[in-house]
Amino acid sequence: MKFQRFFSVVALTTVTLILANLLAGVASKEQFSENFPAVVCPPTLPGLTSQISIQKRSVKFRTVGSNSSKFIPMRMTRFKVIKNPILVDAQGISPVVWQSKAGNWTGGTICTAPVSNQWFVGGTSDVTTRGHLVLVNSGLSESIIDINVWSENGPELSKVFTVSDNSYITLSLDALAPGATQIVIHVAPRSGRVNSFLIDERGKGLRSLGGEMVNSSIESSKDIFIPAIPRAVKIASRIPQELRVLVPGDSDANFSVEVVSDDGKFTPVGLDEETIKSGVVNTISIDPDISSTFYGLVIHSDQPIVAAVYSRGAKDFTWSTAAPKLSPFALSVTGLNPTLIFTGDSIDVSITAKLSSGKTIKRRILGSDIGFWRVPDSVLSVSMTKVSKDTYGAALLSSQSGTGYFPLIPGSTLTRSEVPSANIRVLNP
Amino acid sequence: MAEKATKSALHVSAILVVHDGARWLPEVVASLMSQSRHFDDILAVDTGSTDSSKKLLTTARLSCLELEREVGFGDAVWIATQSLEENENRENEWLWILHDDCVMASDALEQLINAVEDRPQVVMAGPKILGWHDRSHLLEIGISIASDGARWTGLEQHEYDQGQRDGVHEVLAVSTAGALIRRDVFEDLGGFDHNLSLFRDDVDFGWRVRVAGHSVIAVSEAKAFHAEASASERRPIDVANAFLHRPLLLDRRNAAYVLLANSTWWMLPWLFLQLLGSSIARSIAYLVAKLPGYASDEILAIITLVIHPRELISARKFRRKHRLISARVVKEFIPPRRKQIRQSIERLFDSIRLAVLPVAREKVSVDEVITDDEDLLSPVDSPRWRSIFRKPKVIAGSIMMLVLLAWSRNRFGNLVGGSLPATPSGARDLWSTYFESWHQVGMGSESAAPPWIAVLASLATVLLGKASLLITLGIFFAPLFFMLSSYRAFSRITPHEPLRVGASFLYAISPVSIASINSGRIGTLAVLLLLPFLAIASSQWSSIERVSWRKLFAYSLLLSVLFSFSTLSMILLLSLTTVKVALDYREFLVDGEQSIFRIRIVKRLVLLLVPFLVLIPWSFKILSPLSGILLEPGIATSGGGFRLAMIANPGGAGSVPWWIVAPFTALIIIGLFSRTRAKAVAEFGFGALGLSVILGSLTITGNGSSTPTRVWVGSLIACATLAAIITGVIILDRLREILVVTNFHFRHMLALSLTIATVFYSITSIFWVVTAGSDSPVRATSQTVLPAFLGAEAGSKTVVLREVNSNGRVNLQYYITRGHDAFLGEPDLAPVETEEITKAVRELVDGTGISSSKTLARFGIKYLFVKNSENRELIQTIDGLGGFARASSTSAGVVWRVSGALGRLIYISRSGDSFPLESSDVGARTNVPGPGTILLTDTYSRSWQIFQNGVRLERSQDRNGLTTFRVEEKGEISLVHDGTIRRGFLSLQLVLIVLVLVLAAPSGRRKREISEKELT
Repeated sequence: MKFQRFFSVVALTTVTLILANLLAGVASKEQFSENFPAVVCPPTLPGLTSQISIQKRSVKFRTVGSNSSKFIPMRMTRFKVIKNPILVDAQGISPVVWQSKAGNWTGGTICTAPVSNQWFVGGTSDVTTRGHLVLVNSGLSESIIDINVWSENGPELSKVFTVSDNSYITLSLDALAPGATQIVIHVAPRSGRVNSFLIDERGKGLRSLGGEMVNSSIESSKDIFIPAIPRAVKIASRIPQELRVLVPGDSDANFSVEVVSDDGKFTPVGLDEETIKSGVVNTISIDPDISSTFYGLVIHSDQPIVAAVYSRGAKDFTWSTAAPKLSPFALSVTGLNPTLIFTGDSIDVSITAKLSSGKTIKRRILGSDIGFWRVPDSVLSVSMTKVSKDTYGAALLSSQSGTGYFPLIPGSTLTRSEVPSANIRVLNP
Repeated sequence: MAEKATKSALHVSAILVVHDGARWLPEVVASLMSQSRHFDDILAVDTGSTDSSKKLLTTARLSCLELEREVGFGDAVWIATQSLEENENRENEWLWILHDDCVMASDALEQLINAVEDRPQVVMAGPKILGWHDRSHLLEIGISIASDGARWTGLEQHEYDQGQRDGVHEVLAVSTAGALIRRDVFEDLGGFDHNLSLFRDDVDFGWRVRVAGHSVIAVSEAKAFHAEASASERRPIDVANAFLHRPLLLDRRNAAYVLLANSTWWMLPWLFLQLLGSSIARSIAYLVAKLPGYASDEILAIITLVIHPRELISARKFRRKHRLISARVVKEFIPPRRKQIRQSIERLFDSIRLAVLPVAREKVSVDEVITDDEDLLSPVDSPRWRSIFRKPKVIAGSIMMLVLLAWSRNRFGNLVGGSLPATPSGARDLWSTYFESWHQVGMGSESAAPPWIAVLASLATVLLGKASLLITLGIFFAPLFFMLSSYRAFSRITPHEPLRVGASFLYAISPVSIASINSGRIGTLAVLLLLPFLAIASSQWSSIERVSWRKLFAYSLLLSVLFSFSTLSMILLLSLTTVKVALDYREFLVDGEQSIFRIRIVKRLVLLLVPFLVLIPWSFKILSPLSGILLEPGIATSGGGFRLAMIANPGGAGSVPWWIVAPFTALIIIGLFSRTRAKAVAEFGFGALGLSVILGSLTITGNGSSTPTRVWVGSLIACATLAAIITGVIILDRLREILVVTNFHFRHMLALSLTIATVFYSITSIFWVVTAGSDSPVRATSQTVLPAFLGAEAGSKTVVLREVNSNGRVNLQYYITRGHDAFLGEPDLAPVETEEITKAVRELVDGTGISSSKTLARFGIKYLFVKNSENRELIQTIDGLGGFARASSTSAGVVWRVSGALGRLIYISRSGDSFPLESSDVGARTNVPGPGTILLTDTYSRSWQIFQNGVRLERSQDRNGLTTFRVEEKGEISLVHDGTIRRGFLSLQLVLIVLVLVLAAPSGRRKREISEKELT
């Protein structure tokens, strides 16, 4: 046959290709294990009470400092922390911890997984301070932590602290920069599973001057967004607020401040193209003339900075700290009804709230510059399911003891850890 | 003048010893009769010749003394001397000893007499001895003996006599052929030793003459032409004390006798050792040359001498009696050892040179008669040196060298990366990896080391042990080596120089060559190098029955080396053999030639099975699991899959991108439709390519990796590449002639397309290798994975956790190291990781491993090292787990000490207390404080043994798969890994290699089988 060879070649090629396709295996099947790292909630210091909002009774926890490394169920949705910090296996729904000193002050924060950097803009080391910096090592190995403190006088302290495994230490703020009235603290763990918390409590003699849990920001930035600053509307009771700024780098910074409120976005007089010195904690008085009870602040700088706003209330004070870009996440708010405030040019946040009755409420926050939603009573958790671009959020919560603030940050994000495989290739440079 | 006149009256008695010398005798007698200075007497001694010698002597009217056939040469001369009349003036009486196979030049005697007349101290003089057939071939001008018993002439092999050695020389001795000896001294010294009936009697006598205070000279003006009939086995050896009547045996025995009888007593042990050593060495050489008779002669010579010590003792006594001066007088005539070694080396190189580069015979045309005038007037046509650079192979080589310099600019130094692990510092390490029965890789392995390690170790030994230099040079110059080896193969196909040079260049820059070099695939590199040699051999594949057994074993040896580097090629040969046997059977059914069919089957099986046997025990190991046959040496890194294999590109790290398409697949397809022999080659290439496509689609694990990787089919693609290029060369070679004489038609189009495709590939691939391709995984680096301090503790185990790029993705992987990076050979020996350790590491990473440290400690793992991790969460997770104490944190990575890890060898008392015991890398010798258990945290092996007071402790395997021993009392213990089985296999392998080497080596010939012309 004339074309016998041609057909043979075609047939053999086809058979080979079919075989190859059938046998084709997938090289290097990656395997992952996904989990939400356990979050750490702060200890309850003497004289304070603290409660953690949990979405489910079955959420497990472990107390830092206990001998057992087992996680046990909380069996309640509002968990009272007696003393030691706790690790909560919150499974992606970030618990909020609410601390207060009855009748004196209140403050809140979101329990978070260990982080590698924390900037605390707030607190004082002068005679009024009764505040503390708490360093929690929730890991089972010793941790080494670098702490740097700046004040209005410049850099104050640069010290290494060692926290033994599964324990925490408390540092008095007056020991960090004695005499300084305005401080900024940088906590940088070298090793270990470390969380730190700053409690800025002040008093004068027996009189309490209020207190606050100062939330941390993870890194310095050229653009700082502080989404929620409480504001007394009545002119008579209005006290000027203080913007505390630190330029941690070597160069001085030029910055400008924009106020974002229901009244629109504007730059207050004297806060445009201002220069601040590096290495020194600067305090700038701000007193925007707005009609709403809260507002946001956007700070643009030519150098990375850290900043927060100090707001003095009647008996309490609040530290409004910087918030990162908002991303979808869930928050346990059992027993709390905070106001969620969002800032951004074009706000579009979809919220699903889960009630204790099992029902859900869905809300969509739309707007420009600033928007808010007050969480109703009986809500166990709030999920921000859809978040518009360049939106920032924070929560303000008032109680009889005072006002508290916390930025909307996921306490822990889904960590996808790859299952490692044995391969001698790791020993080849 | 008066004195001269007195001496000229020398009385010379010629003694001609004859033994079956009829072949040479007429010429010898004629030469004697035509001497310019006649001898005074002549006496022939016939030792029982059975040929016409006696008749010839009678015809020549020579007085003849008839003796028994068993009478030796020395005895014959002595008897003849005694039958000669004695003169009053004994000092003037000389004996001229003559052989029946040695023609004397007409003035030989005259020249000898002239020489001795002027030198009163001389009592023995010999002529310059030249060859019988080639009378310009210088055989001897004085002789001596080397310390290993070799006959020493001081001449080069086949030295041509141009008068360069002329003159009168003081020597230790001269041959008895034509020797002129003063009779009184001869008689005083008892003549030739009667124990030396034949051979070496001359050296012995010369030695004795020297220590008696006389001189021996060699006179070049006197010439003799010697057939050396006895030494060249041209006549039987019938002398009485010749055991088995074997010339070599007698010669070697007599050589040893001469040395041991004459040397000073304190030299005897050393001499004996030398004689024994050289005899053994020569025996081995004769065995390799398949001359067992000669081999046995060497050994028997020593034995026959040793079993008769009395002969030696009486000989030494006799010599002591006649020694008048110090024995040191002969020292200057004994060749120094360095001179002997130098000459041996020169001879070795000469024989290699002659084997590799046979001397080109000059083509002399009988028509070209050049007169002297013409010779002077003709212009000298000497080639200009510049013409060298016009040769295609030089041009291609130069271009390749320039490409290499750009391509390998990151490879000046110790190479590592890709599939190539770090090279150990010396050949010794490679040898020990090959020989050891236990390998400290991962949790330990007792796998048989692959034979390619031994091949590399041998080559590194040649490079004075520089293993890393071998790898660097091998990879750097690999394309040049490929060019050279393939050029040799293409030369057999086409005489067209540019075509074969172009083809070899294409082979050197083929995708498989580039990928193998860039990713450090030493297996495929070896295949690419050896394949052209096999291609040459494969020309006889169809008619294998015509291949000699010697060649067949040589090919088997070559295949053994090939298989040791690439087991995939074993699959290919198996497939080819199966197909060919089927075709042979079909042919047998047609023509019914059973004998041919049978020999074909046997020879094909030999070709397949001999390499398998030579590679024992490794060849068994690769069969279990069978997927092991798909692995190549080095770290398992992924190939490119079957799609790339279709275009003859093996893919993987360092390979050319898919769009640089080589024309090989097209060539193979075109070749399939050819009507020339290209078709058969293309069919082979098509098969190899098809197999590589099928196997390239598979994924396997192995070589220390539990991650599935795509099979690297470089070896098969190398076969397809060579087949494609050979196909192309055959087609183009033939096509060239057709294209020249025909009008433009499709063949022109085809040739043009192929040329364009080839040129496109060459340009783009060269451009790629000198740009992006130079940034390949294999590069010179001094970086190591492990910080130096982790290697300080000998043998301590560390889990290394690192993100590595695998299959284009970054994966987190781990392995256990013993304090160093992976070395050459270790991936091939790496064991499968223990399930418990894998689980512990997995939990360590995902943060759930509360008991990870305990598991790791149980397996003796002391450290955890996370290399250069940007993943701070991982570090925090480990920090948070507990059981891991940070030991260091540097830019290289973070190290934790595993809590509770005691080390490799642990003693556990009966009360449960445990503490580490001292141990070296493999074995240990230490003390235990009392009864308890010894835990060895290495993989369980039945060869692990602990001895205490000479008793082997009871061994068992614990639930973790580790080895434990029960110890009953305190005292010293000794831990060993018993390598008897490994040693046994290695011995078997050595025997098989030697056997195949002997069978493959060219056969030697007995001297009697060599023609006289060749001998001279």
